[in-house]
Amino acid sequence: MLKFIVRRALGAIPVLFGLSIILFAFLRLLPGDPAIAILGQHATPELIARIHQSLGLDRPLYIQYIDYINGLLHGDFGYSIINGRSVLADFALRFPGTIELTVGALIFAVGLGLPLGRLAARHPNGWLDGLVTVVSLFGISIPIFVLGYLLVFIFAVQLHWLPATGQIDPRLGLEPQTNFVLIDAILAGRWDAFVDGLRHLVLPAIALGTIPLAIVTRITRASVIDVSNEDYVRTARAKGLTERRVNSRHIMRNAWLPVTTVIGLQVGGLLGGAVITETVFSWNGVGSWVVDAIQNHDYFVVQSSILIFALIFLLVNLIVDIGYAFLNPRIRYG
Amino acid sequence: MALRRLAALAAASAILFGACAGSTPTQSPSASAPASAGSSAAASPTSAIKEGGTLVVGLDGDMVYADPALISDSNSSYVDAQVVQNLFGLKPGTVGDVIPVLAAALPTPTDNGLTYTVTLRTGITFHDGTPFNAAAVKYNYDRWKNFPAGPLQDNAYYYGAVFGGFGADSNLVSVDAPNDTTVVFHLKKPQSNFLIAQTIQPFGIQSPTALQKYGADNPSLDKNTYAQGQGGTGHSMVGTGPFMFKEWVPNDHVTIVKNPTYWDPATAAHVDTIVFKPMKDETAKLQALQSGDIDFAQTIAPTDVQTIQSDSSLQVIDRGESCNIGQISMNQDPKTQGADDPAGHALLQNKDIRMAIAYAVNKPAYIQAFYAGLAKPADNWMPPATQYYKPENLPTYDPTKAKQLIQQSGVPASQLTIDLYYPSDVVRPYMPDPKGMAQAIAQDLQAVGFTINLKSEGWRTGYISDEEVGKFPMWLLGWTCDWAGPDNFLLTAFFHYNGTSPSPEFAYKNDALNTVMNNALAATDPTTAQQLWQQAQDMIAADMPTVPLVNSSPPAAAAAYVKGFQGAGNLTEEFNTVWLDK
Amino acid sequence: MAVGTTTLAPVTARVSRGLWGDAFRRLLRNGPAILGLACIAIFVFGAIFAPLLSPYDPTVGNLVNRMQPPSLAHPFGTDLLGRDEFGRVLYGARISLRVGVVAVFFGLVLGVLIGALAGGAGGRLDAVLMRAVDVLLAVPGILLAIGIVAWLGRGELQIMLAVGVSYTPIFARLLRGSLLALRESDFVIAARSMGASPARILLRHMLPNALTPLIVQATLALATAIIDVAGLGFLGLGPGDPRIAEWGEMLTDSARFLQSAPYLIFFPGAAIVISAIGFNLLGDGLRESLDPRLKR
Repeated sequence: MLKFIVRRALGAIPVLFGLSIILFAFLRLLPGDPAIAILGQHATPELIARIHQSLGLDRPLYIQYIDYINGLLHGDFGYSIINGRSVLADFALRFPGTIELTVGALIFAVGLGLPLGRLAARHPNGWLDGLVTVVSLFGISIPIFVLGYLLVFIFAVQLHWLPATGQIDPRLGLEPQTNFVLIDAILAGRWDAFVDGLRHLVLPAIALGTIPLAIVTRITRASVIDVSNEDYVRTARAKGLTERRVNSRHIMRNAWLPVTTVIGLQVGGLLGGAVITETVFSWNGVGSWVVDAIQNHDYFVVQSSILIFALIFLLVNLIVDIGYAFLNPRIRYG
Repeated sequence: MALRRLAALAAASAILFGACAGSTPTQSPSASAPASAGSSAAASPTSAIKEGGTLVVGLDGDMVYADPALISDSNSSYVDAQVVQNLFGLKPGTVGDVIPVLAAALPTPTDNGLTYTVTLRTGITFHDGTPFNAAAVKYNYDRWKNFPAGPLQDNAYYYGAVFGGFGADSNLVSVDAPNDTTVVFHLKKPQSNFLIAQTIQPFGIQSPTALQKYGADNPSLDKNTYAQGQGGTGHSMVGTGPFMFKEWVPNDHVTIVKNPTYWDPATAAHVDTIVFKPMKDETAKLQALQSGDIDFAQTIAPTDVQTIQSDSSLQVIDRGESCNIGQISMNQDPKTQGADDPAGHALLQNKDIRMAIAYAVNKPAYIQAFYAGLAKPADNWMPPATQYYKPENLPTYDPTKAKQLIQQSGVPASQLTIDLYYPSDVVRPYMPDPKGMAQAIAQDLQAVGFTINLKSEGWRTGYISDEEVGKFPMWLLGWTCDWAGPDNFLLTAFFHYNGTSPSPEFAYKNDALNTVMNNALAATDPTTAQQLWQQAQDMIAADMPTVPLVNSSPPAAAAAYVKGFQGAGNLTEEFNTVWLDK
Repeated sequence: MAVGTTTLAPVTARVSRGLWGDAFRRLLRNGPAILGLACIAIFVFGAIFAPLLSPYDPTVGNLVNRMQPPSLAHPFGTDLLGRDEFGRVLYGARISLRVGVVAVFFGLVLGVLIGALAGGAGGRLDAVLMRAVDVLLAVPGILLAIGIVAWLGRGELQIMLAVGVSYTPIFARLLRGSLLALRESDFVIAARSMGASPARILLRHMLPNALTPLIVQATLALATAIIDVAGLGFLGLGPGDPRIAEWGEMLTDSARFLQSAPYLIFFPGAAIVISAIGFNLLGDGLRESLDPRLKR
């Protein structure tokens, strides 16, 4: 097991290295110019040249790249061309927001998707199954921004049950410490802020979690049906085990496998979906930050943040694979 | 820009600008106000003003730096305007009326326009408790002038632009502080826009003590704690205004609080706290306002005006006179390097074709559809509130006349094809729906016989860098004033020359016009300046190098209990008059 | 850019000539699949006969008639530029279905190429290719698509490519997984022992048996492709000429009229949902008929 982890960790190095080269080259191929992002309509050739010079963009590309990698190896992830902030500091500021949103969405998707999927699998092609299928298909077919606007319109604008935007009501004056709103509220002992933070999380988590919810539901349903037809399940039933025991010991244990794979893959999708969710809910996260940075040609921000993204993605998948081994003793990693 | 202005200044001699900056009388902001607008938001002296409370403002985007000297964007300016004050400002609600703020009076230039002697107000302290005086003013101007090359100069765009460069290049030779209350500015060459240019936020005066103590001059901006605003009150944005900086959580909020010892009790703040929240998405901002997340939206999409008006708990705020222009830009040079659609560029060399386009566009219809009526058809290349403005009686919608002009041009119908570009990912105050506008314009142009190819690029991923060098034959763009002077529109924004040739952006060659505009800048008295600037406007109108569309007043919106707000068309607005009736 | 991922047990060795025939017959007996087919057929029909069904030019309107709620003359109302929304939904099917199909096809071709090479060859090539796929998977799909559009510029083809490429890693992974499982299956071992060349084994024996989960995944991706195009439009990266009707862009452009003109969202939105449901039901049906174990 340890050997497997070490091998995977070593395998990640060329991946990240390759990604850094691709990102670097790709960003420089994009039309447009970081100087334009600073100057806007005030841009003139002289001012653009001056900015290129002070950003070091007039040097040969390979030197810029070596410089960048050298910085990375020394823990310097660069700074934003637009506002001069260190990429790492901004990442630390925004990533907690994305994690809260992503975890909220996952809890929604898995917490609701697993029971729904099992419910649907109980009588395949029954009316309940049909209902679950149609609802989950609906969820999969609505773009996040439409769903987001719609949820806000119904629950915030019309019913006033939940807030429309942001992570917490600024009027509460909660001091940020870890930048995880919920954790900050607990640290400050502010029960009101904690509840407010939770209330802010509900709608964005639903908007972001709907597609994963649909997928988790469908995968759970499919794999439960799949496993129920396996010989060992029939054998278990034939042995006269209770339906409950068959379910927990034989069906769910094995049905978990594909479900965990999908959950792992969805983490990548969630980060992508967060781009739009964060915009619709004015949520302070990394998604909208990276999209802005791409459009601004904010080189260091894009390069470093996507590298960090990739690192996290590889890590999550490693954990999923390890989880596999725990769930299914038949899988061995040599 | 820096070099361009330097060139312009080289020819300039004294225009005695004095207090005449706002020569156009300000219109009543409620002249075209929607039903629930203006009046309720404008100061209503009859009801008793309530003190205290927190106002949450939805801003279009995040602040960039907490040091006004380094900013050139409207979001930072909006926050700064509450905290850091300049020697001179604009009369609230106007875009061009210069008034003294930290100065005691408007100075009259002496020495043929080369010297401005400014008397300061007394008894003012910065937010860190240090005194405001002539030495502090001198410190600030010296600091800007001597910014080292690199990130500080790169971001201090406006100092470089207004004074034509830094250090020895700067048109500001020196600033003297002979005593505590007198500051003397010495210019290299007369600079007619000196006073009005000092009203923009980057010329805000900050505490020298705080600037030094918190490393405001550190060129590594990621380590510049002053510019990054991470220290709290007295560590960043240390000005003299009615509000004090409190905290900035980037991309989440900026908080400012009431200055309890503000120097002018008559204009002290009413609310205790203002929180600015960046909200990029217009629909999100609208819904945040409707649900009570925010109390005030800095701008709203004109298409939402009706929705807000129909809600009695909300109000739409009309900003009155416009300080912008939206237009159909045109480039007449088919030889532009990398030109897209050279045939289109060549077509636009034909004046009849340009005139035909001017007659073919239905400006009032666009204003109804895309601006909710909160705009006026443009009749010049600058808005009416600009100094020396003259109505030009430009063509109005007349498709028949447009078809006649096309016939007269001799261009066969088969060759009437042009690319029209619009930016795909931004809205601008003068252009709230570029995609819709582009389609509407294309419909109108197709109706008189053109074939229009619609194309788009991202604002920063190609649009600005390509239009800047003239790659597009026809594209949608405009300008929001830095200050309401003709030079800012006709020269800076549009038809300046680079040396002896027209700027590649429009490739509009008119040497006579260039001479007139330079002479206008060099004029020694307002009468001559007015006559020359108006001659320049007539010359442009006769040629129609681009087609002006609208001057818009971007609407704001607020909860009904927000009172006392005074909007302005250039979005230079102060919240000290605002109070909450709840 | 979440794509529904169907993880299937690799299809068991079943080299029956009648597989496709059996599957087709099973498909015809599958009620939901037929319903799905009907959903798609409606739009294909609408797209083909749009000029007969709609009297208006979908690209030209009149500002005077803008934003009219549904009426007899305009059953779906008119949009911001005064164009007939009904006509635009019909004509929009042409572009949207095409974009979906071509984008998925792009992704499928690339994914099959990579997956087949990796799963077929194994060893070092497999390792290298899978690392490349990891790189692609590590970058959230929508960022990848944003990058491609920013790089290649705007246009229908670029959008299809962008969306297609973002599906590639999942297709490649899926195919590789099935191929790896098949390598040790009885019939492949049998073929190998009979002296068949590796290429022949891959093309004749393994690929046909590994394609099933891919086909299913592809039908599901057809649905998400249209929505992904809408997502790109939301970020200002929609396809070229906005006058040409396309559901995703219609939805994006009218999202801000949720309150003032909800019908502008409803109709293109319903078109996307119905066609997505259609593709999904069809995909489910295909899966069930191709893998009869799933069906009781």
